[in-house]
Amino acid sequence: MNGKKQVCLTIDGLKVQVAEGTKVFRAAEQAGIAIPHFCYHPGLEVEGSCRMCLVEIEGLPKLELSCSAVVREGLVVRTSTERVREARKDVLAFLLAEHPLDCPICPKAGECRLQDYYDRHGLFASRMVEARERRAKKLPIGRGLLLDRERCVLCTRCVRFLQQVTRTGELGIFERAVRSEVGIYDGAPVDNNYSGNLVDICPVGAITADDFRFKTRAWFLARRPSVCPHCSRGCAIVVESVEGYPLRRSEKRVYRITARENPAVNGFWICDLGRDGRHDIDDGRHVAVTENGAPVPGLSWQRALAGVAAAIRSIPGPERADKIAVLLNARLTCEELALAKGLFVTGLGLRKVFFADRKPGAADDLLLTAERMPNRKGVLAAGFTPRLPALAELAGAEVLLVFGEYLPEHFAEEDIARTLAGIPAKYLFAAHAGPLDGLVDAVLPVAVPAEKSGTYINTEGILQSFSPAVRPCPEVAAEGAILACLANSLGISAGEADAR
Amino acid sequence: MLENGVRLLPVDDDSWRLEAYLRRGGYETARKVLTTMAPVDVIAEVCKAVLRGRGGAGFPAGVKWGFVPKGGAGPKYLCVNADEAEPGTFKDRLVLLRAPHQLLEGMLITAFAVGIRSAFIYVRGEYARVSRRLEKAIAEARAAGYVGPRLFGTDLGLDVVVHHGAGAYICGEETALLESLEGRRGQPRVKPPFPAVVGLFRSPTVINNVETIATVPQILARGADWFLGRGLAKDGGTRLYSVSGAVRRPGTFELPVGTPLREIIEVHAGGTPEGRSIKAVIPGGLSAPVLRPGELDVAMDVDSLSRAGSMLGSAGIIVIPEGTAMLDILHATARFYAHESCGKCTPCRIGTAWILKVVERLRSWGGGPADLDLILRLAEGIKGRTLCPLGDAAALPIHALVTKFRSELERAVAR
Repeated sequence: MNGKKQVCLTIDGLKVQVAEGTKVFRAAEQAGIAIPHFCYHPGLEVEGSCRMCLVEIEGLPKLELSCSAVVREGLVVRTSTERVREARKDVLAFLLAEHPLDCPICPKAGECRLQDYYDRHGLFASRMVEARERRAKKLPIGRGLLLDRERCVLCTRCVRFLQQVTRTGELGIFERAVRSEVGIYDGAPVDNNYSGNLVDICPVGAITADDFRFKTRAWFLARRPSVCPHCSRGCAIVVESVEGYPLRRSEKRVYRITARENPAVNGFWICDLGRDGRHDIDDGRHVAVTENGAPVPGLSWQRALAGVAAAIRSIPGPERADKIAVLLNARLTCEELALAKGLFVTGLGLRKVFFADRKPGAADDLLLTAERMPNRKGVLAAGFTPRLPALAELAGAEVLLVFGEYLPEHFAEEDIARTLAGIPAKYLFAAHAGPLDGLVDAVLPVAVPAEKSGTYINTEGILQSFSPAVRPCPEVAAEGAILACLANSLGISAGEADAR
Repeated sequence: MLENGVRLLPVDDDSWRLEAYLRRGGYETARKVLTTMAPVDVIAEVCKAVLRGRGGAGFPAGVKWGFVPKGGAGPKYLCVNADEAEPGTFKDRLVLLRAPHQLLEGMLITAFAVGIRSAFIYVRGEYARVSRRLEKAIAEARAAGYVGPRLFGTDLGLDVVVHHGAGAYICGEETALLESLEGRRGQPRVKPPFPAVVGLFRSPTVINNVETIATVPQILARGADWFLGRGLAKDGGTRLYSVSGAVRRPGTFELPVGTPLREIIEVHAGGTPEGRSIKAVIPGGLSAPVLRPGELDVAMDVDSLSRAGSMLGSAGIIVIPEGTAMLDILHATARFYAHESCGKCTPCRIGTAWILKVVERLRSWGGGPADLDLILRLAEGIKGRTLCPLGDAAALPIHALVTKFRSELERAVAR
């Protein structure tokens, strides 16, 4: 591992081999032994303050911090002796003595370390007869985050995250001893593009997001991995959705997007733009085929696609190159781009295959890239030379297929309307409602990346495959399925690409 | 009282001036050391003298210096811990007031031994008058060329900066002191790494108590054997014992390490006032577990007190007379640590506050043996489990008070 020297140690009787310099905590993790902890976070510097991860190390008189103790050859570590269990119980007893126990109304319930650890390591009767300290329960700290100081266990993960990762330092610890509390400085709330991570890393319900608070319960959420499509970083995310209760038809499905660990790409964090991506999945979606701006009940996308195929077939072969125009985008997966290439370029021999993407935004020096499409590198890898067309280049076409709703970001609506009015057959394949909807003959609803499987190549050239994290509505199809179906009905072999 | 009249603390009040210090042969040892000795020999001599830290932990100073990595391109620092805040301790204050140049000379020697060019003296916030005098002494030394660049015609220099704390007990803990000195919240760091390796501004750092550093010139002037002859084989020299409470002559006494506690109280501090007897003695600052009258025949050195189940700590002796309510002592102790806990780690932050709540409830409403058991249980939950020694410093004396005066406390809380 990294060419580092390996060290052998024993943890709970298991022989473990890890790289020199590894912390005992990580070594135990590698051996499949979970040590309870609050303040330790692999993405932050060791704090050593919660005292929950104390373990027994042979030869040392006191219990040692597993999060800061470094492995040595021949070390014998025990993580669940009577002494260790007693120490954990005591830490839990201390924390719970000053905890409000408002789990029934706490958004963290069900995924709270204090709850879980009490269940696993505590289960004692309270000895506290004195009154708890009373503190602020819903202090806005910026960016829709609320701080509950009574629930806080002062692990300082939030403070350290803002000092060490974003380097914005909006939060600090104020006061001393049992009066210590997390807070913002006067008139300077949390304001950075990574604020949502504070909710993820808070081990208890002290920092909660207004966006999630009281909306559902953690145990209703199905958590599935995906890759964030909102910039070219391709951060690992977890899409957390409710499939059954309490969902009603047309209610939102995705309650939250959280960060997933991927050391090669995003470490432990995601930006707020990606986190807000849950709106991209549920809000403003097309759920049925529309024709001339109105949904057509009972019209399946397959039947609507037959119309598209007919329009294409109506153009004689030799004229297709210039009379059929296609607009693709860099949100398509590598597999879909390969299909598009096989169908439009190789199969139909089209010359007018263009790309219309989201406009670049501002990058930050952490994760967010200026490029706001997830698969720019994939477009190049598929052999395209992506180019935004001038509207005049589309004007001569007789059939226009537009994938994605990004054209209005580049041209004035009236210019687009004028151009499209001159094209006899035009079809839009889009996930969200937008200004183009009324300008085309039909809109076929497509899936968003969280509903698809496929591969993206991120800005650093890393290939990342993903599977569907949520199920799309019945009338929504992935572009891959649409392209495969279209190729099929045109009798074109678009290649071996996966058309799930 | 002391052989050859060599004292850490001069008796007259004007002794702090450079002129007076030079008359006593001041800075001659530093001159000898810097111009004729090798750093490694200086460390060896201090190791041989077994100069145990005077701040509380009693760790041998020479050994501590030896932990600093040799060579290295980056800076190394010397921090003098003058954040004297242990209740019952008032000895460093006297060193700073009466012998600041002796401290500076000790700093020169220490810096030379370890290869340090930059030193800080972290003075307790409440010691405003003390640090004014210290600054004056440093100015004198700087003007005379005893502090600053090119000392004694060598290439060596030492820059000294006085830094004022803001009154937090925790800043006497060495890593909290470093944090505070760096301009952050005074809270302890996880050890290891120890300051000798990663200390101030992430550089190797020597931190010693005022008295420890001020003792260094004696050792180099007269040799380790002489120094050991004044104390014990494993704990050399003399110490400054602060005595307060129910004694006729409270004050600071410079006596050999290992002087019996009873002798210090009864002979040097004059014993208890007429008609009063001793109920309890705290031998090493508030953090040291209390001793009962029958336990006073103990030598005042690190190992003896440790064997007696207490600790020498900062050698601040508090004599508690008969007639004092131990519940009040327990309350004062609990209140101090609950107030001074820095709040960083769980057992200390919540444990000390919880204990105080129980004690306050017992004082107001009474209680029973189960409540005393709860205090013991909470103290055990803190002991040995905290980030820094403050946890033990709070848990041990509270545990000792409840165990040793249990029947009195049970009677006091019964309603």
